[in-house]
Amino acid sequence: MFDPITIGVLGLIALFGLLLLRVPVGIAMILVGIGGTWVLSHVVSYIRFVPYLKQFKSLLWENVANNDLSVVPLFVLMGYIAAEARLSSDLFKGIEALMSRLRGGVAMAAIAACGGFGAVCGSSLATAATMGRVALPELRKLGYAPSLASGALAAGGTLGILIPPSVALVIYAIVVEGSILKMFQAAILPGLIAIVGFIFVIAIQVRLNPSLAPEPAQMDREDRRRAIRRLWPVLLIFGSIILGLGFGLFTPTPAASIGVFVIAAYGFILRGLTGEGLNFAGLIRAIRATAITSGMIYLILFGAEVLKGFFTRTTLPQALSEWAAMSGMDPFLVLGIMLVIFIILGCFMESLAMILVVVPFFWPTLIALNGGDFVTAETAAFGMDNESLKIWFGILALIVVELGLITPPVGLNVFIISSLARDTPMATVFRGVTPFLSAEIVRVILILLFPVLTLAVPRLIGN
Amino acid sequence: MTVVLTRLVDAFALLGGVILLIIVGVTTTNTTAFILDRITGPFGVNVSGLPGYEDFVQLAISGAALMFFPYCQMRRGHVAVELFMDLMPRLLQRLFDTLWLALTAAVAIFLAYWMVLGLLEARSDMVVTSVLGWSVWPFYGPGIASMALWAFVALWQIAGGRADV
Repeated sequence: MFDPITIGVLGLIALFGLLLLRVPVGIAMILVGIGGTWVLSHVVSYIRFVPYLKQFKSLLWENVANNDLSVVPLFVLMGYIAAEARLSSDLFKGIEALMSRLRGGVAMAAIAACGGFGAVCGSSLATAATMGRVALPELRKLGYAPSLASGALAAGGTLGILIPPSVALVIYAIVVEGSILKMFQAAILPGLIAIVGFIFVIAIQVRLNPSLAPEPAQMDREDRRRAIRRLWPVLLIFGSIILGLGFGLFTPTPAASIGVFVIAAYGFILRGLTGEGLNFAGLIRAIRATAITSGMIYLILFGAEVLKGFFTRTTLPQALSEWAAMSGMDPFLVLGIMLVIFIILGCFMESLAMILVVVPFFWPTLIALNGGDFVTAETAAFGMDNESLKIWFGILALIVVELGLITPPVGLNVFIISSLARDTPMATVFRGVTPFLSAEIVRVILILLFPVLTLAVPRLIGN
Repeated sequence: MTVVLTRLVDAFALLGGVILLIIVGVTTTNTTAFILDRITGPFGVNVSGLPGYEDFVQLAISGAALMFFPYCQMRRGHVAVELFMDLMPRLLQRLFDTLWLALTAAVAIFLAYWMVLGLLEARSDMVVTSVLGWSVWPFYGPGIASMALWAFVALWQIAGGRADV
């Protein structure tokens, strides 16, 4: 007869098997969670299946009736309304007006605009899709090489997962029972490093191969003035959301609500004044898009809850953490292996699902390796207390998770950009995105070597 | 039937969106009240936030979140790993797709069934929210209807239904 830990391992294998057979991620999690518990109930005497089933009377309702999670659909709605209100376009045009004098400046503007749009949109895919629609035609019209144009936008889209507010950060904080606000604060510097790194990659590329970008063209003075004029309100709105969250002026749910309200109001006013901006049809489109994204996220969250119950009963996560603590392996080596697993899984798995499936296994292991629940910074293996480790590991994990969005064979951001640039082969987009991967690797190494890059802002604000 | 179903699913999604907008309005009002209180407090004028605001958000979001499920299913929005199945023969892909849709419908019916029992239990136990004192059981209703509709959409997709909303 199998023991609970073996059943847990088999459950994990079954989960990945179902995922590879294209079962929707949330459904696969629910099936393995319930099916696995049924198997367990035949092996472990104190686990009884019918009482287990009775928790489903309230489990789903309590899972969604959660104040912390209410922020998820609100951030998603905020991003879609911002796109419908053409704020993404104003942002790109405004930054383009400021940077167009540089060779490769419009591609750099696209990166900066992706970072800015990430501040109102919690999703990398939505950032890539929105900014791709806005910036790709402009880049192509100006004569940018397809590889640079599409690669910059696919890479720029990944900024959405880290620049606060980020749905992935919210989910990670909930999984490890950490502070959402501290995670947002910790992500600010690494997010800025990514923007600077990507811009630097473009600058190097166009210097080495000037044919990738056209000669900088002087923008018409009136167009430039108009673009910059339209940029200010967008910067004000986006900046107040990111700074308000970062400096703890408001908590995530009020930030998201006020963000939706202000962006919608601005969009409607803009429509009234200029004929461009948000209209009722745009609002309805934003709600429908929110329904799809939020429905998908909530199902995965519920699936993870069911799956967590199963794995906890198998004691697999505890066994894994005890094994890691006793194995005598170098903690940094284990951390490195974890990050590599994230990268591999990220190549074919949805980022939120990955966080929800993998982090509950990794996090107890890291705590055990660090020295246990009550370790202090002085005696900890990673040189920091568990609260800091939570933040540092979370940011590292999300960065490597996002690498999967631009890495073959799946690379969802690459698919999105490729679908927008129909005349650009997928291989060209992957080729274009490769130099940006090197910037990401440098960023991961920097954060691994200098945890202060993630911990400085939360500590500064906390003090 | 397709027209009725797609409109119903669309109406659920839009109603969920309207609930989100109500949450936006309530939260913005509540936060503005807190900000005003900070400003006017030193002058002896107190502006109070909305009592039971968190209760309201909790109840409202439970309805909105689940009402998105049928629309998400209709638009095939529930993510899946698109890696190996694309390499399989078309017939096998369709077979697996039908199987997964049937399982999705089964999961939705399973959840709807247990939620009905949950509603009855919350009603008999007279479960109320902590501040507003509102009964919780009526707020299971949108969730149960959404689960039933979700199952129906999955079955409709097995029968060849395609979304055009």
